[in-house]
Amino acid sequence: MTSIPVDMKAGSQTMRRALPQSLVAWLFLAPAAVIFAVVLIYPMTYSAWLSLFQWDGVSPNKVWVGVENYVELFTANRVFWIALKNNVFWSLLSLVIPTGIGLGLALLLNTAFRGSSFFRSVFYFPAILSMSIVGLIWSWMYHPTLGLINQSLAAIGLTGLENNWLSDPSIALYSVFVAATWHNAGLPMLLFLAGLQTIPKEVMEASRIDGATRLQSFWFVTFPMLRETTMVVVAITAINSLKVYDIIYVMTYGGPANRTQVLGTWMYFLTYNHNEVGLGTAIAVILFGLTLFFAIPYTRHMVRN
Amino acid sequence: MTASVAPLPDVTVRAPRLAVGSYVFYIAIAVAALIWSSPLFILFFTALKSANDFAQNGTFSLPQTIELSNFAKAWDVGIRTYFMNSLVLTLIKVPTGVFICSLAAFALAKMRLRGARAIFTIFVLGLVVPMQMTLVPLTTLYQHLGLIDSLPGLFFLYLGFGLPLGILILRGYFRSIPDEMIEAAFIDGCSWWDVYWRIVIPVSKPAIVSLLILDGISTWNEFILAQIFIRTQANRTLPLGVVQFSTEFSTAYELLAAGQIITIMPLILLYLFFQRYFVHGMAGAIK
Repeated sequence: MTSIPVDMKAGSQTMRRALPQSLVAWLFLAPAAVIFAVVLIYPMTYSAWLSLFQWDGVSPNKVWVGVENYVELFTANRVFWIALKNNVFWSLLSLVIPTGIGLGLALLLNTAFRGSSFFRSVFYFPAILSMSIVGLIWSWMYHPTLGLINQSLAAIGLTGLENNWLSDPSIALYSVFVAATWHNAGLPMLLFLAGLQTIPKEVMEASRIDGATRLQSFWFVTFPMLRETTMVVVAITAINSLKVYDIIYVMTYGGPANRTQVLGTWMYFLTYNHNEVGLGTAIAVILFGLTLFFAIPYTRHMVRN
Repeated sequence: MTASVAPLPDVTVRAPRLAVGSYVFYIAIAVAALIWSSPLFILFFTALKSANDFAQNGTFSLPQTIELSNFAKAWDVGIRTYFMNSLVLTLIKVPTGVFICSLAAFALAKMRLRGARAIFTIFVLGLVVPMQMTLVPLTTLYQHLGLIDSLPGLFFLYLGFGLPLGILILRGYFRSIPDEMIEAAFIDGCSWWDVYWRIVIPVSKPAIVSLLILDGISTWNEFILAQIFIRTQANRTLPLGVVQFSTEFSTAYELLAAGQIITIMPLILLYLFFQRYFVHGMAGAIK
């Protein structure tokens, strides 16, 4: 064994005689690259292409219509507008409510007290359940006669507030949102907790010694130092909330009267129930475009690190 | 912030001391936790009640008798099939996926490769793609290949959609392994494969365990792909099957609740046993 320090890349030049390093690298990459190309790259490209056709998904001939599908969505498809509006509304609400609850819980649970890790688990647990299970559990909570919510309201005498939470068109989307929040608050909580851990204790102490109130020290010290965490949370929340699908499908099926439709579910119904594949894929492309708006800065941030 | 899977420091050690150290604080947080968990409590109570008990005493009351037979019944009338499908799929898919991800992440982190950064970026972008963007072409492709309504077909889709997160986590961790270790191995006459298998993988155990758990949970929970590509009852996975189960037995509340508890039980156990890894993995994955 030689003791001469060898740079890894120079050292590997001996390997080159056997196989060039870049070829070895491609051999290691090959399984992932092939699967990724088949399952993601090819379908995405092909979807974008399909959105330019009128097609029922079955017949052999697809009719070229150019951007007409997009024009039709924006000018003639009433449900598309509801879905788009719901998506935007859902995303904005997601950036405030589950994120805010997550931040609040993180601040609360970052203090050392007996059982703080137990409480962290309690508040985090719903986040690992599947959205379909969350949807089922909450459909049950919202049951008009047997559900916990109406029964609780009745028990404290507020029968006037009882409601058909999922079948009343004016509140159904909010009801589903509450269920989603139960699931969605966990991740921001975890990320903010991790972020809070990176703030040196001394900084906090210094601000308190200088006479800052709790609120001041949060606003002027903690919050600015959480900036990077906040950016990540905002990006993830925005991306995930644009992709909302399963919980709506399970809880309301887009109803009543399409009032809880979002782009994800409307794409599904158009494509698989109405055989409007061109319109459906056009929605998928629009949804992807919206996601990219947040995804590009986020991806750059992650690749940079 | 880095994409590494650095362990989260123990919060209790260096967190600010509790200033609100009063009963009020404890009561407030305990009440909040109770409200937060109430959907799960109700689910458990309902699963333990007899149909009569439920009909007479409603949602709120504690079970009069503990009816464990609800679980056996739910299991027998359908949940078993879904559970087994999900279990087999998860147990095969997750290790395979992590292995494939680790190979790719190793090449991207430690080898000289033109365009490695661009390739990595493309993989990471896969993390944000809405499923809908791939469904129609995949359906067509799977019809040609005869993979519609097949669990092996679903397996390949899960492999593909699991790649971005796996590569992201493992590449971050592999990069933190000092190059000197790898140089030393080369001097000892190791090949790239030896370096990967005998050095990088063993020292990356924390990241790999985190990823196994994260990927296990997301595979266990997957809904959309199963919904589109599985057609018959015999091939349904649990998240899909339990929704169907709820429609079929829509008035047998104790069975529905038992079915849902069975669905989430593996997650509860996993969470109890591996919580530490899980939290680290998640924090490392997202940052």
